[in-house]
Formats: sequence, C-alpha cells, structure tokens
Amino acid sequence: MDYAAQTAHLLIREFPQLIAGFLVTIGVASAAIPLALILGLLLVVPRMAKSSAIAGAAIAYIELMRNTPLLAQIYLIYFGLPLLGLYPSEFTCGVAGIALQHAAFMAETYRGGIESISPQQWEAARAIGMRKLKVLRLVILPQAIVRILGPLGNQMIILIKDTSLVSAIGVMELTMTAKMAIERSAASAEIFVAIGAFYLILTTFVGAVVRLAEHYAAESN
Amino acid sequence: MTSRREFVTKVSSVVAGSGLVLAQGPSASAQQPAPASGSSQSKLDEIRARGKIIVGVTSEAPPFGFIDEKGELVGFDIDIAKLFAKEIFGDETKVELFKQGFAARWPNVQNGTVDFGAQVTTVYPDRALNVAFTRPYIDSGIVLIVKKDSSINKVADLNNASYTVAHLTAPVQAERGKRLYPNAKFLTFDSISAQFNAVKLGRATAAQLDSPVAFYYAKDNPDIRVLDEWLTDVTGNAVFLRQDDFKWWLFLDTVVAEMVGGSRFSAYKAIYKKWFGIEPSSARIAQSGRKA
Repeated sequence: MDYAAQTAHLLIREFPQLIAGFLVTIGVASAAIPLALILGLLLVVPRMAKSSAIAGAAIAYIELMRNTPLLAQIYLIYFGLPLLGLYPSEFTCGVAGIALQHAAFMAETYRGGIESISPQQWEAARAIGMRKLKVLRLVILPQAIVRILGPLGNQMIILIKDTSLVSAIGVMELTMTAKMAIERSAASAEIFVAIGAFYLILTTFVGAVVRLAEHYAAESN
Repeated sequence: MTSRREFVTKVSSVVAGSGLVLAQGPSASAQQPAPASGSSQSKLDEIRARGKIIVGVTSEAPPFGFIDEKGELVGFDIDIAKLFAKEIFGDETKVELFKQGFAARWPNVQNGTVDFGAQVTTVYPDRALNVAFTRPYIDSGIVLIVKKDSSINKVADLNNASYTVAHLTAPVQAERGKRLYPNAKFLTFDSISAQFNAVKLGRATAAQLDSPVAFYYAKDNPDIRVLDEWLTDVTGNAVFLRQDDFKWWLFLDTVVAEMVGGSRFSAYKAIYKKWFGIEPSSARIAQSGRKA
C-alpha cells in the first residue's frame, strides 16, 4: 500500500474515536464559554466598584487567575477538592478550571469596553435618576459589548484551544483520544494533522459567528 | 459595497486557503522516507560519530525514572541507559536523557528523536508490529493498587459499577479492563503519577501499575497496598528502538544479554540491588556450576 492509502486507511479506522473526542471538546467548550462570559460580567461589577476593598478583592482574583498556569489550576481543582471531601467529575473540574481562569480575562475585556464609553453617557443617565447598575445594564453594556465583540471572540478561540489541557485529568476530549490513537497505531504526524484540522474547524466556526455578530451590530447602529 | 458579500467572500477564501494548506500536510510528511533499510545509515554508526546516545526515559515512574530530592533524574532505567553509554564510549556520562511522555514512545524512536527508549516498557507482540524490542532487561507484571482499607481483595471484586479504575493511555490497559472488570468505570490519564494520585486521593478505587513501580509506591505510602492477584503473566520490560535497523538492534540486544547473565552481570547486579534491595537471579549463573 502506498503512503496515501495507508494514511487514509488509518484515519478512517480511528475516525469514530476522534469524532467522539471532538464532540467532548465541543461539550467542554460549550459549557465553559457561557460560564466564563457570565462570570466575567459578574466580576467586572466589583472590579469597577468605588470601594477599594471590593475592587481590591476583584483585582486580586483577576491577577491570581490570569497569572497562574491553567493546567496547575485544573490539577488543583481535580486533585485538591477530594481533600475537602468533594468529588466532582473530571468534566466538571475541567469546565470549572477553564471558566474560572477565562472569567478573569473576560472581566478585563469587559472593563476595557465599558471604560471606552464616554463618561458623559454615565452623567446623563445618572442625571435623569437612573441607579448605577441600571445605567450599566441598559445604557453602557449594550454599547460596550458591541465594541469588544472582536476581543471576546479572540478569548473564546483561546478558550477552545485551552480545552486540550483537560486531557490531563482524564477527560476524553480530542487531544486525549488522539494520544490514545497514536499509542494504538504509532502514527503521530498523521493523527496530529487530523486533530489540528478538527480544532481549526471549530475555531473558524466560532470566529465566523463572532464576525457575523459584529456585522449585524455595526449595521444596526 | 455590501458588507455581507465581502464577508462571505472573505470566509470562503479563508476556508479554501486552509484547505490548500492542510492538503500539503500529508504529502509533506511523506517526504520523510518510510525507513528504507538499505539507504539510511544504522543508528550505531550515527551514534559513534556523534559521541553520545540519546535515550528516551520517563521522570514519573519510580524506581525506574523519577526526580529525587536533589532535583536529579535518577532510576533503574537511567542507570541501565548509562551502562549502554559505557559500552559504546567507555564513559557513562556520554548519554543524554530525554524525558518523554508515554504516548510519545513509539513516534520518538521512529522519527529518530531518541536512539532507543528505556522506559518501563513491557514487551507485547502487537507493539512489535511498530517498534523493535531487545530481550527484556527486567521482569515485571501488571498489578492493581488499592487503598489499604479497601474491600477489594481479588480482581473479580472490582467488576462492579460502583468502582472506578485508573488506567494509563496505553490501549492494553483498557483492553485488560474490558476483559477482567467490564462493569467498573475507567479513568484514563497520560501519566503514572496522575494514576497513583487518583487512587491515593480517592478519585479511583484501583489503578493498573507495573509491579516494581507499585511496590515502590507502596513502600513509601502505607495507605496503599498491592493486590496479591496479578493481572498478567510475568512480563518483561525491554529496550525499544525503531524497526529496520538490524545492526543497532543486534548491538543493543547483545548488551542486554550480557547484562542479565553474562560478562556484565556484576554491573547489572549492582544497579538492581541499588533500586530493589535484592539481588537478581540468573539462569545462566545457576547452570554454570559457579558457586557464588
């Protein structure tokens, strides 16, 4: 058999397991992305609070989570919680680890968007009697989100690639199933090119969706 | 100017472009020749010209390969690797120890990143389809570790949906699991230390380990014990290297033969005693008529 036929044969044989791993990757990403987006939003409110104690706590969280390696955080959650008597599944630990770190990045991204809105809008809204959180919700955030769709999309793509780290705690996502396929077949280059293609499909899709959202947002403005 | 048409054009060109790029991938890796035995040089000649050997090892399977308190990579496999350097160059420091994960063992010998591997690797015939093995340099077997107070005493006890077993990514462990305890849940990790920690911290009821590794862990961790019933016959760990290199395989196999029961047995005995506390036995010595 020539090389192309051999490779095709190998990829067809491993395809079911790789697809199963790809679906788990999509599952982890689909759970972690909304969680990170929401947690980031919840984090940016205290981050921009007037009280330096509250803002300080938020800043401490953001700095800690951004500056420590995600893999170390995932291990800590997975192997550390049992010491407290808790045994969440590896999927839960993986999603939690990813969401907790990326929430920190999202919070900073949101903050950039919010601060880019002219302070005059704040003043005008406060002047007609709106409370701070309402201003944020109804006036500032809708405009801010439109501005930061690009960076948010960036973060989501980085998050998708970070899902490969949860293979270290045994989640059978794409990178883990690829490693097992390589052990079965001893053909690493072909398998890694194949999963590279899978990740590319996923990230390109998410990037395209974000760009579509940006277009619609720009058109409606 | 319709932004939608622009957008669609851009997306399709990106997809087409990446398709073109990806199509280069398989044909590019086809440029590396499948090992052609006649044309490429034997590893043995390449190594003698280079002046050192590069050996694939692990750093997370005590006592075969691990990082000690001083931060140095030590272990039984590491000392064996140094013996090979001594045989080729007369100098056991002419070795580069290349730490690699268990999933990288076969690719790294096949593409020449390492010259051979000495890495807690059991000889199985299906592996021999893809890599070459010398004869074994140490006997082993696969056992199960559990926590000391666990109610598991036999392998059959594990065959219950309420139990979890930690495996390595090696496919043979999953196959064993499906055969011996299919009702249990499996966890798969890519490192032996993660497997061990899973049992120690209660994430798994049991883990499949090489017997010398299991005994070593049990020695330092009184809350872990090894089941009496082994999962396999007595197996052997051996040096693995790429196929199609007879000259290199013959040299390595000759050295192993001499280590485990011939002219280099004293050096081997010293290493064995250092890591396992007992002396190895050798059938050749028993039959030779020599008294001690």
